[in-house]
Amino acid sequence: MIELVNITKKYAGQEEPAVKGLNLLVRDGESCVLVGPSGCGKSTTLRMINRLIEPTAGTVLIDGKDIRETDPDRLRMGIGYVIQQIGLLPHRTVAENIAIVPRLYGWPKDKIRERTDELLELIGLDPETTRHKYPAQLSGGQMQRVGVARAMAVDPPIMLMDEPFGAVDPIARNHLQDEFLRLQSVMRKTICFVTHDINEAIKMGDQIAILDRGELVQHGSPLEILSNPANDFVCDFIGYDRVVKKLSLCRAGSISRKDFCLIRESELPAAAKKMEEQRAEVSFLVDGKGVPRGMLTAKWLKDNGSAFTPKELKALASQGHKGFIQEDTLLRDALSLLLELDLDYLGVLKGETLCGAVSMADIRQYASGKEGD
Amino acid sequence: MKWSWDRFWIAMLERAPGALYVHTKMVLVALVVAAVISITIGILLTRPRLKWLGGIVLNILNLLQTFPGLAIVALAMPILGLGFKPAVFALIVQGLLPIARNTIAGLYGVDPDIMEAARGMGMTKGKVLYEVEIPLAMPVILAGVRTSAVYVVSMATLAAYIGGGGLGDLIVGGLNMIWPDFIVVGAGLGAVLAILFDRVLGFVEKKYTPLGYSAE
Ligand SMILES: Nc1ncnc2c1ncn2[C@@H]1O[C@H](COP(=O)(O)OP(=O)(O)OP(=O)(O)O)[C@@H](O)[C@H]1O
Ligand SMILES: [Mg+2]
Repeated sequence: MIELVNITKKYAGQEEPAVKGLNLLVRDGESCVLVGPSGCGKSTTLRMINRLIEPTAGTVLIDGKDIRETDPDRLRMGIGYVIQQIGLLPHRTVAENIAIVPRLYGWPKDKIRERTDELLELIGLDPETTRHKYPAQLSGGQMQRVGVARAMAVDPPIMLMDEPFGAVDPIARNHLQDEFLRLQSVMRKTICFVTHDINEAIKMGDQIAILDRGELVQHGSPLEILSNPANDFVCDFIGYDRVVKKLSLCRAGSISRKDFCLIRESELPAAAKKMEEQRAEVSFLVDGKGVPRGMLTAKWLKDNGSAFTPKELKALASQGHKGFIQEDTLLRDALSLLLELDLDYLGVLKGETLCGAVSMADIRQYASGKEGD
Repeated sequence: MKWSWDRFWIAMLERAPGALYVHTKMVLVALVVAAVISITIGILLTRPRLKWLGGIVLNILNLLQTFPGLAIVALAMPILGLGFKPAVFALIVQGLLPIARNTIAGLYGVDPDIMEAARGMGMTKGKVLYEVEIPLAMPVILAGVRTSAVYVVSMATLAAYIGGGGLGDLIVGGLNMIWPDFIVVGAGLGAVLAILFDRVLGFVEKKYTPLGYSAE
């Protein structure tokens, strides 16, 4: 647990403090993303947690203990630190870079070698070919991976990460983020993560702390912040697509409705009746194996009367044959598909089987709903 | 002024080996001492606590550098007397600046991000100095040693004036007697020695350049 209590930092010669009266709590196993425009004091805050900088006023507690009671070098050895500019030692190989902290702890050589190889595999680099390379021989993305691996070398319970994926192109960044989230879901480390990219904050954070000119403006879960931005600054910072961003926090499975019915091809003429009986707005056409082939909505049938031949009905139903998503699809992507296919409903699949339906109205309701509704 | 091949061969075979030996010894001793002193100065002056002193010390060294070599040699004589020691002393003084300046420049030039990463991982200040700063500054420091070496080799010829010996003996002797052959041998070997030092140190410099730097 990391606790910042009333932290203020004023650099020599500064009129306005870089960080002003900051209070922040990061619970064990939770990631807190510090986000804000350039110069708002994110890196300064991070550096006060591992005592690279001493606060002008206030206290930092780790697991309830004032960090000033620990020798700074000892303290830092126990906290993984990834800096904004990676900072690999250029005269050391990849393996030697990763081994820095284990060597400080005096681990035996075998154990260090084992751990290095393990970490290289964890971050998706081949130990055989990468171990003896120098940082200059790596790509930007590979360097960032090594930087993260180096910080995780002794498996510290706390990690401070200052824009750890800042120096790579968006595609590589996305990939690194996904990999890190996968790792974190197993490792459950206590993480302070800095970024100036609100999308990264939403994606990576259990909690988000938005800073503006050294002050905390809002602290909460991504959903809380996207649902109830505290003020205009936060609104502007999030951007016009706030609601669409909110849709990326929710997966289709969690808002899907169960009031749909399944029909076979032979039942098509009776579809309208079956839906009425079951009070369903939509029915999905499935084949003999239960694989979805299309859909009919009550609205279509109503609009067009019941003067359809079975063949016409089948053609109508199969217009929606692409309208199926997996339950872990983000609502954002579901919305995109709804718009693309010009449908009102999507079938939600769990593997091959239908488990629910999501409508345009459901998404709209989720998007406009405030927290707690 | 007349050229004599007899005297040329006497200079080459009888006088030169001894003179070369003394000259090289003088240069090596002066260079090693100057390097130790100025690298120490350079390291101390780049520590946060002594940064304020840096400018002052560099100014003093700059001033010393502008003294003509001969003047230092002359000034050293009343204090240290005649012979090898005062000659080496004068050479040390002259050799300090390039090394000190490069040490300071090299240490300042170490990427602060790399230092922050090293400190942030829990390396002590000493470890950061030995394992990060010095290795990374080494190419620049060695370039300073190289500049200083060439300087000192040529300056060492003046040592003859205060009885330091070396190749200067041949030149000074040749000038006194108006023997061009002696002058040519002394000056020529001096030039060869300077080139040799430069090449050897260049090689060392290359060898000590951190691999990661050359591996593009
Ligand atoms: N060592 C320092 N000395 C004086 N002022 C500093 C120092 N480091 C940072 N500052 C100032 O403090 C403020 C906050 O800097 P900080 O590095 O924490 O910003 P940041 O939020 O990390 O920005 P970025 O996103 O650009 O990295 C800035 O105004 C900066 O100019
Ligand atoms: Mg920063």
